[in-house]
Amino acid sequence: MKLDPVTLEVLHQKLRACAEEMAITLARAARSTYVKDAHDFGTALANLNGKFFAYPEALGVSGFLDLDCRKAIETVGELAPGDVIITNHPYASGGLSTHMPDLQLIRPYFHAGRIVCYGWDFIHSADIGGGVPSSISPRFNELFQEGLQIPPMKLVEAGRINQTLIALYRANCRVPDLNIADVNAMLAALTVGERRVAAIIERHGIAAFEAAATDLTVWAAAKSRDVQRRIPDGEYSFWDYMDDDFATRVPIRIRCTMRVKDGMVDLDYSGTDPQVGSAYNVPTGGIRHPWLTLKLMHLVGTWDPTIPLNYGLFENITVSVPKGTVLNPEFPAAVGVRHATAVRVNDTLVGVLTTALPGLIPAPSGGTNVPIVIAEQDERTGVRRLSVIQMLVGGTGAQSGMDGVDGRDSGLANLYNTPVERSEADVGVLIEEYGLRADSAGPGRWRGGTGLVMRFRVLREGSSVLARGLERFVFRPWGAAGGGPGATCKVILNQGKPGERDIGKIDMVVMQPGDTITVMTAGGGGFGDPYERDPEKVFFDVRAGFVSVAAARRDYGVVVDGGRLDLAATKTLRSAPRPPRPAFDFGPERAAWESVFDDEIATDFAARLLLRSPPKRIEVKRQIVEAVVPGITEVGVRGMANLFPDPQAQRRLLVELMDQALPRR
Amino acid sequence: MNGGGSGPGRYRIGIDVGGTFTDFVMADLKAGGLVFHKEPSIPSDPSQAVANGVAALLERAGARASDIALIAHGTTLALNAVIQERGAPVALVVSRGNRDVMELARGRLPNSYNFRIGREKSLVPRENVYEVAARMMADGTVETDIDDAELDALAADLKARGFNAVAIMLLNSYRDASLEARVAEGLRRRLPDVLVSASAALWPELREYERALIAVLNAYVHPLMALYLDRLTQRLAALGVTAPITITSNNGGAMSVATARERPIDSILSGPASGVRAASHFGEGLPYLLTFDMGGTSTDVATVTDGELEFARTSMVGDYPLMLPVVNVSAVGAGGGSLAWLDGQGILKVGPESAGADPGPISYGRGGTTPTITDALLVLGVLHPERFLGGRMRLDAAAAEAALAGMAASLGLAGATQAADAIIRIAAARMSTELNKFLAQKGTDPRDCVLIAFGGAGPTMANILAGEAHVGSVLIPPSPGTFCALGALISDIRRDFVRPARVPIGDGGRGFAKVTELFGALGAEASAWIAQEGDLIQDHSLAVTCDMRYPGQSYELPIALPLDERGQLDEAGAVEAFHIAHERAYGFREAGSAVEVMNVRLAATGRLAPVPLPDVPATAPPAPRERRRVHLEGGFDVPVYDRASIGRGVRLSGPAIVEQLDTTTLALAGWDIVCDRHGSLRLERTPA
Repeated sequence: MKLDPVTLEVLHQKLRACAEEMAITLARAARSTYVKDAHDFGTALANLNGKFFAYPEALGVSGFLDLDCRKAIETVGELAPGDVIITNHPYASGGLSTHMPDLQLIRPYFHAGRIVCYGWDFIHSADIGGGVPSSISPRFNELFQEGLQIPPMKLVEAGRINQTLIALYRANCRVPDLNIADVNAMLAALTVGERRVAAIIERHGIAAFEAAATDLTVWAAAKSRDVQRRIPDGEYSFWDYMDDDFATRVPIRIRCTMRVKDGMVDLDYSGTDPQVGSAYNVPTGGIRHPWLTLKLMHLVGTWDPTIPLNYGLFENITVSVPKGTVLNPEFPAAVGVRHATAVRVNDTLVGVLTTALPGLIPAPSGGTNVPIVIAEQDERTGVRRLSVIQMLVGGTGAQSGMDGVDGRDSGLANLYNTPVERSEADVGVLIEEYGLRADSAGPGRWRGGTGLVMRFRVLREGSSVLARGLERFVFRPWGAAGGGPGATCKVILNQGKPGERDIGKIDMVVMQPGDTITVMTAGGGGFGDPYERDPEKVFFDVRAGFVSVAAARRDYGVVVDGGRLDLAATKTLRSAPRPPRPAFDFGPERAAWESVFDDEIATDFAARLLLRSPPKRIEVKRQIVEAVVPGITEVGVRGMANLFPDPQAQRRLLVELMDQALPRR
Repeated sequence: MNGGGSGPGRYRIGIDVGGTFTDFVMADLKAGGLVFHKEPSIPSDPSQAVANGVAALLERAGARASDIALIAHGTTLALNAVIQERGAPVALVVSRGNRDVMELARGRLPNSYNFRIGREKSLVPRENVYEVAARMMADGTVETDIDDAELDALAADLKARGFNAVAIMLLNSYRDASLEARVAEGLRRRLPDVLVSASAALWPELREYERALIAVLNAYVHPLMALYLDRLTQRLAALGVTAPITITSNNGGAMSVATARERPIDSILSGPASGVRAASHFGEGLPYLLTFDMGGTSTDVATVTDGELEFARTSMVGDYPLMLPVVNVSAVGAGGGSLAWLDGQGILKVGPESAGADPGPISYGRGGTTPTITDALLVLGVLHPERFLGGRMRLDAAAAEAALAGMAASLGLAGATQAADAIIRIAAARMSTELNKFLAQKGTDPRDCVLIAFGGAGPTMANILAGEAHVGSVLIPPSPGTFCALGALISDIRRDFVRPARVPIGDGGRGFAKVTELFGALGAEASAWIAQEGDLIQDHSLAVTCDMRYPGQSYELPIALPLDERGQLDEAGAVEAFHIAHERAYGFREAGSAVEVMNVRLAATGRLAPVPLPDVPATAPPAPRERRRVHLEGGFDVPVYDRASIGRGVRLSGPAIVEQLDTTTLALAGWDIVCDRHGSLRLERTPA
């Protein structure tokens, strides 16, 4: 490092504060609720290669630290003072924008006639046109349905805004005034950043500024490598599944091989399923992309909370991801709901890290983020109004020495829930129960966090319920190091009333006044053998109602009788012989699926599908899976374990159909 | 009424009960002048230290207990009980299906990077939560009522488990408090010794978790505060004090003991609020005050604009959000006890860990081994080892120097003073960047601000910070170490009220009539309350605010509503005030749109006779008590003055140090010190 350790820390504070002041300016001036309430925006300073060397600590989206502006900058070419680049294009920006509502601006900062760094910011805008208000639906299967595509170009040229582009932009979105206000907020933030950078250069000199921009990343890289040295050298593979791709009931498999040597980590996503015919694709540009490394960032941030936030944190990671997969789709695959897939990428990384060293990172969380939406018809105007009455998540996974957190999950977004009183005031609904779900947590020496349960009664005519993006309905949040898996999600109509029905995974349900729906989410995975859990802790959970008496006995070998803990009976029960606990407990659903689609054939299937054109990949995959597993379209109600009556025959059919439809590798 | 007469009503005493010291300030309303006093606190019975101090002050003034007009008192007892988890076991009663309100909280985790940081601890374990069938609908109608059989069973269970404090929060009670009140009354009747806190009686605002927390926190500190206030009243009565006693509150005001006994929650964040209140008194006439309170573990800032304190709707009490109007104070970083350390790559870091008061800095000689900001200031020569806290604590400069010399070697610096200088530079960089962000959030230019510094370390670091953050000037009040006691002394009686409205206005409908009706009801309630708060109140005022939004928006803006000459609210004026505020905040207005009033808020202030700040006599330019070497910015020799020798009109040039019992003020080169008529030191850039 070139700077002395005191000047470096002083400049670290000032550069971070510069990015934070940009964020404050943006949040103050922006208008859309995505920015104001959900804090779905970002600000940073980028070096000449387009990578971030200064990033806010706790303002805006934390996960975009390793984005890359280079392709957007190179596409535009020569830049002059006062220019600002705009783009929202997931493919043309090389994964800088990962879905089209995310509007990106880049402004070159000059000193003495040359560019010394770039200011960057982004917001999730309220609407960018396309097939639905707010521009996102899992249903879409092409980028063209998702709104206006803006490849990298100049929004501002030498201080003058390109009015032609603005006119075109305004004409292509539903709330042009709101959007323009947000763009102005972004421009204001970039101007603030420029002023702060100039002040820092004036105070400390250009040489110190440039040295800091480099030294900060060298410093972060050294720190993250120290943390990554906790991962034992070796090669580890893991895969996990999304229940389905929304368009069909065919699961999506995410596969990762991690190779580690002395703190250097290589992530290889080959074997991952092809891109899908819904909006679940993650456009990473095939590079080391934040969506592919997020859990490693959490690992580093946990073990070294004072690490300076910049791309150096990722410099000891390499990534490869084959083109045409769901993690590196080809244009024009739809990408609007890429965050749903990112959740499972996180779980896959957790799995590969746990394979390397159990206890390095918590077991997976409930793995679902589902907004419960009520659609009501306005009696006067007939307009259909959508209101989110709650955002449901699962619990977090257990880790060595700590139970998971019940009913909360900050893995993807650390959002506030909606008060019951607000939902009841805004919508014709009575929320009969909103709480923690008993017996949903993965058992373990350290148990997972419980999932949630919400039961609500619809009060008005013409209401429907939407619950899009329910996950972990089929494949469970698994248990680690001898821990058990969390319970799967469940949806029940009119629970405890006449006509009670398990209605499986829902998209939209039309309701009658008085009907209730109960949604139960998955709990987090457990960690360690549940028989090693302190019986007093199990007894506490029984008294609190988190674990039933029956589950205490079945899962933990703990006997509670007549409201009392029976230690003698517990000891007897626990000392009886039983099969060894597996390193990973995935639950029966995954075992059933893999009785046909094991790793070897699934990897071969995915690779051979990539040899077909993108639309054919999707179609052929669906045809083959539906032929091999005839009940798959009803998997939510029937249960995965019941769909494999004759695995050997089904596997023979799979091989046969693959040979008919797909070229060999 | 009361005020500067002879005999009864001559003195007013402000008291701040802290963990280590209990601070006193006595104002002589007749002769003018303030007397300061410190007593060691008595944690086992804090009221004893209060009584001791009052007796000592009376003796010093040669006054009788009956000469006291008012005892105004602030305490951190309730806050400390929460932070140290020493409150009473609380049972919480909720509507069926809402049992996990405390477990779920608002669904967030404190940190999304760090998975070793769990959630906050629940103040009420799940097994202490009781569900009842009573349920209210969102429109305030009762879906299921409470019956005697259920109350009997509940009371029996609570009694069997020995609860002394019970909180009640029924869903939608913010809309209509009566169902919740029936449950509360039923329990009080059956369990006369149990303290019952009902959420809507405390603060009827929508959001069940936050409202439950208000009730739970109130219940949690209730037994402890009731005991303390009873003892305090008895001890002062035993001294012959007949004057009313007030307790400072979160909103920068104060309340009677009777109110504080029912609503201890209103006192929980009163400490920082009193400091800001005192600052506003000293900064009277200045448009933008920036308060800077640097203590041992943290540094807090707040703004005062045109004499008006700024309030936050939600503040944190430890790990818990408090949905009550509280003077808005923000932490900007390190305190004097914050630790300096080297990370794995050899980079120098300051904070966030702190040595606190125990073991404290190395130089305290109580076992601290890691250098702190205080150690750095000592090694730099800014602090004098013999004169810290007026000489009550001797600092071990050699030990601090040895540790910093070791750090300097690791950093490749020449010696201990260079390491100390580096620590101060980093602390100032961090603090100034945080300060600039804090001001950016409000859109305030630091150059327009006057920084008013208090707390033990505030005056020492103020000039360094002001220079780094481009703050216009600095004000050091006469007694910055006992600022909260002074804040208590000058606080008016004040309480906030809220009611939900949820009606459209400006659309020709009946909505505004509802707002007016709510305001009338709240005003009557507030006036009745004020009338019971004691006869010291000269007059009172009511300030009305409405939380307003365009229909369908998820955020609201607080709009202060002026009253017309007949004391009535004006509908068109209210709508226009919202349009203007919305335009200012978000850059546009929806001129044709209806506007919704979500809540009506009312602040009732009962004014006490003002305490004028005494003038200090003019003096000739003082002679320095010594000159000493300060190793900041390459090192310079500075004259050191005794604060007591600096009178009105004195102007000194920096660099200079001013020492007094409770703090040390540092002025840098390029700055002047000017003493104003009240004895405050104003630090200004030397005119070019």
